[in-house]
Amino acid sequence: MANLTRRAFNIAAASTALAAMTARAYAQSDVTIVVNGSGGSLAEVLKKLFEDPFTEATGIKVRSTAPVSLPKLKAMVESGNVEWDLTELNGDDVVLATEAGWLEPIDYAIVDPKNELPEVAKLPTAMVRASYSTVIAFRTDRFPADKLPKTWSDFWDVEAFPGPRSLENSPKGNLEFALLADGVPLDQIYPIDVDRAFAKLDELKDHIPVWWDNGAQHVQLLVDAEVNMTSCWNGRITPLKDEGKPVDISWDGGALMLSYLGIPKGAKHPKEAMEFMKFRMDPVASAAFVKVIPYPGFVPGMMELLEPEFVATLPTAPANAEVQFPFNSEWWAKNLEEVQNRWNEWLLI
Amino acid sequence: MIMRRPTLLLLLAPAVLLAGLLFVLPLFGVMRLSIFDESGFTLGPIAELVNSRVAVVVLERTFVLAASVTAICLILGYPAAYFMSGLKPKTRAYVTYLILLPFWISILIRTYTWIVILGREGIVNKGLGLLGVAPVQVLYTDLAVHIGMVQILLPIVIITCLAAMLDIEKDLMKAARSLGASRSQAFWKVFFPLSVSGAATGGLICFILSLGFFVTPALLGGRRSIIIANLIDLQVHQTLNWGFAAVLATALLAVTLTCLGLFWLVMRRRVEFTGAGLGR
Repeated sequence: MANLTRRAFNIAAASTALAAMTARAYAQSDVTIVVNGSGGSLAEVLKKLFEDPFTEATGIKVRSTAPVSLPKLKAMVESGNVEWDLTELNGDDVVLATEAGWLEPIDYAIVDPKNELPEVAKLPTAMVRASYSTVIAFRTDRFPADKLPKTWSDFWDVEAFPGPRSLENSPKGNLEFALLADGVPLDQIYPIDVDRAFAKLDELKDHIPVWWDNGAQHVQLLVDAEVNMTSCWNGRITPLKDEGKPVDISWDGGALMLSYLGIPKGAKHPKEAMEFMKFRMDPVASAAFVKVIPYPGFVPGMMELLEPEFVATLPTAPANAEVQFPFNSEWWAKNLEEVQNRWNEWLLI
Repeated sequence: MIMRRPTLLLLLAPAVLLAGLLFVLPLFGVMRLSIFDESGFTLGPIAELVNSRVAVVVLERTFVLAASVTAICLILGYPAAYFMSGLKPKTRAYVTYLILLPFWISILIRTYTWIVILGREGIVNKGLGLLGVAPVQVLYTDLAVHIGMVQILLPIVIITCLAAMLDIEKDLMKAARSLGASRSQAFWKVFFPLSVSGAATGGLICFILSLGFFVTPALLGGRRSIIIANLIDLQVHQTLNWGFAAVLATALLAVTLTCLGLFWLVMRRRVEFTGAGLGR
């Protein structure tokens, strides 16, 4: 954080003062909150930038667990044995968990007292933590430099871009990509024409030897050159590129997705969890976080702290955002069960 | 020393209690999940199983895979065990050690190793490339699943066969030869019938373990290599349909128990017939 601007310094000073105030309120606290997240290197960065400073400021200890799991949330709430105080959730999980009553309402008077957070980030039971994209990633060494795959039509074009591919073992996102490959404009994807999407996926089915289940797997498939291209989470490719691996991404037709924080129904320390959510809004720490893990959220004042060249590489940068579509969690939450069953039948038989 | 019955029961008690608490009780929980939901008794998940094309296809696929893996393991394992039964005890101990060695390495690691070997940039395809052959897709096919599973299960089959073969009186073979039987007659008429129950036990263990395999099909197989355990995982983690997952698990258990029952019936007949058997 060598190049802090004056504005950043002011914000930093203000948030330190804020932390000092909360510190007084919780000086005697010996509470430990359990925060569930994605684990891995992400967890280490979170600990360094948010959890340890939070404990220092408030006396509230943080224990982090992983992985993000809707079934586990369901099991906890239904058995009345709620271990987590705060958990990450993806978009359609938020819709499903809210409908099922597994989440506590969030008091934004605590989390966002100055009302700085944009409305889109504030759901009654969850707050946006990060944004990321599911985009096309490819091996740059398997195609001529002047003819790299760019769009989902290219992804589907096995003549012009030969070689095995991979997609996620889930209908989410893939149906949208199939429609884009079939010529549907970005703003007309939803509501999804499921039949048309499956018909388009039929064309590609035999060229996909493996369907990935998690982020580590699609990275491995690309690095081992097991496939020439795959759908991927944008943040997983940045470090590979930095290491000099021959991989790149195309934002074209990417799915802009949101990741949320929510409090399980029956959590033991909901108030402390909300204090921690407020702490996660710290713009300086958030800027440092995004530098390592390029998943920006809507933290007010954060973007101003980053260099314009870096901001341009983020999924939410205007130039990148305009060629992508916002992933529609509501549509998926409503149709997931039916589409998932059809997907299983389509894929496994 | 003959123990009195109460003492015997007392010694068994901790194991029975532990098995009851940690195994039988959760098992009933799972079975309960398949016929009860929030509103009470339901046959919904069972109807779902009968009507689900995916479940039927995957169950069938699971049994075909388990049967073919078992057959391969027996074809490879029986001769290996026969060879080992003829070795001097000291040499046999070394060979046994070599066979058991991979057994102590985690299944996950052994499966990942196959990814490295069979992959598009793996050793096999690199070698083929030197010979001018285009890369072949072995990884993410049924062939890869078979290779992975046979490698994991073969030691079990060999050791089980071997144990049965070492029990066979060597003098019986000598007697057969002295009465004029040729080498192959002595093997097929005397040794083979006596060793069959051991081989069958090995095959059965291999078959039942294959039915529940999860990691190997998930990592080495393609979309059509999914077997029942993977389908259960899918129901638990993706569709959140726990009732259906419970029915699938119960169906797998029921079929496994049926196999065991059939095996027991058949073997009992054989025991009456040959006078040799499992109980030895």
